[in-house]
Amino acid sequence: MTGSIALARTVKWLRRLDTIDVALRLTLLDLLLRPIGSWPIRPMTLMLAGAGLLFPWLLRRPSLWGGLALLTLVRFVADWPLADNHAYLLCYWCVAVALSLFADDTHACLSFNGRLLIGLVFGFAILWKLALSADFLDGTFFRVHLMLDPRLEDWTALVTGWSAEGIDTYRAALRGHFDAPLAAIPPGTALPIRFERVADAATWWTASIEAAVCASFCWWRPGRIAGARHALLLVFCATTYIVAPVDGFGYLLVAMGFAQCEPDRGFTRGCYLAVFALILLYREIPLARLLSDAFVT
Amino acid sequence: MTRREGARGRWARTVPAALLVGVALHQLFLAQTVGLSPWFGGGFGMFSSTDAGRARHIHAFVLRPGLEREVFVPESLGVLEARARTLPSDANLRALALELAQLPSPDHGPATGVRIQVWRTRYDPETLAPGSELLRGLVVTP
Repeated sequence: MTGSIALARTVKWLRRLDTIDVALRLTLLDLLLRPIGSWPIRPMTLMLAGAGLLFPWLLRRPSLWGGLALLTLVRFVADWPLADNHAYLLCYWCVAVALSLFADDTHACLSFNGRLLIGLVFGFAILWKLALSADFLDGTFFRVHLMLDPRLEDWTALVTGWSAEGIDTYRAALRGHFDAPLAAIPPGTALPIRFERVADAATWWTASIEAAVCASFCWWRPGRIAGARHALLLVFCATTYIVAPVDGFGYLLVAMGFAQCEPDRGFTRGCYLAVFALILLYREIPLARLLSDAFVT
Repeated sequence: MTRREGARGRWARTVPAALLVGVALHQLFLAQTVGLSPWFGGGFGMFSSTDAGRARHIHAFVLRPGLEREVFVPESLGVLEARARTLPSDANLRALALELAQLPSPDHGPATGVRIQVWRTRYDPETLAPGSELLRGLVVTP
C-alpha cells in the first residue's frame, strides 16, 4: 500500500516536471560528464554547462545555448575529421535548443528537433551497417571489435572464458599486418563457439533495434509505430551502453528523447531518468569484470 | 503568430536537421571518393565497420637521387598522421609528407620527394586472419 502511494506520488511528480528544463539539464549534464575537446574549448564548455545548471535564470537563455553551439561547432571543425560522432550530434542539438528558445512554441520545436535528429542519426547508422559496410552483416565487425577494443576486454574475457594473456595473443595476431591482398597467417587459436554466437547475436540485435528506432522516429503518423518510439529508444540505450563505451552519446539520446515526452507520460519520463542513471552506472561499475570473476574460472 | 515569429519557427525546425544531413552526405561522399573512415566525419558510421582509423597504417619513403628510405612517423606528427590515416586526401597526405621530408636523415642531400601510402586492414570472414590493401598512395615533391 505504502509502495503504491509512493509510486503514485513519484509519477505525479514526474508529470509536473517541466519537459524543456529537464531536457536542457540532461544535456548540460552530458557536457559535464563527458567534457568535449581540449584547451581552450573544454574549460569554456564546462563553465557554460556548469553555469546553466547552477543558475536557473540562465538555463533558457538562447545566448547560453548559442555559445555552446558555437563551441561544439569550433571543436569538430578544428578536429576535422577526428572528432567522434557524439561531437556532431551535440552541436546539432545545441543549435536546435538555441533556435527553439526563439520560437513561439519552444516545446513543440524542441520535440520536433529531437524526433527528427534521432530518426536521422539512426537512419544514417543503419545505412552504413546494412548497405555500405563490407563487414558488418557477416559478423566480422563484432568478432574483430570485441577482440581489438581494449575497453571491451572484460566482456571478451567473460564471453570467451579466456585469460587476459589469451586475449592478448589473439589480439596480437589480429593486429599483425602484412601488406598483401591475400589473407595472412591465420591466428593459431580458434575462437570459442560461444564467442561466435555472441558476435552474431550482437550483429543482428544492433541492426534490428537501430532499424526499429529509425522507423519509429521517422514515422510521421500517430499510432502504434510512433507510440513505440520511446520504448525502443529506451531499450536501445539500456542494452547498448552496457557494452559500448560511448556513454556521452547515450546521455544525449536520453536528453533528446525526454524532450519529446508529454507531461502525461509520467512513467516514460521516469524511465528516461532511470536509463540516464543506468548509463552512468554502466560507466562506473565494472560489471563485466565482476561477472567474469564470479562465473569464469 | 507574426510573420517574423513564424520564420523563427521554420528556421528552428529546419537548420539542425539540414546541418546533420549536409555533413552526413559530405561524409558519405568523402568515404566513397577519398577513403574517409566510416567511423569519422559525422556520417554516423561508427560501430559499422572494422575500417577504423587505427586499423589503417602508413608507409612513407623519402626519395633522394638513387635512394629510397622508409621513414617512420614520429610521435610529434601524431595528429597529422591520424588525419592522413582517417582521411587520406591529397591535402592530408601532402601535409604529412612535407613534414617527413624535413626529418633528420643519415643520407646526404635534400629529399627530392616522398612516396606515402595508406593501407587498410581487411579480415577474413571465416578465420579473421588480417590482410592489408592499399587504400591510397601519393608521391609528393617538396
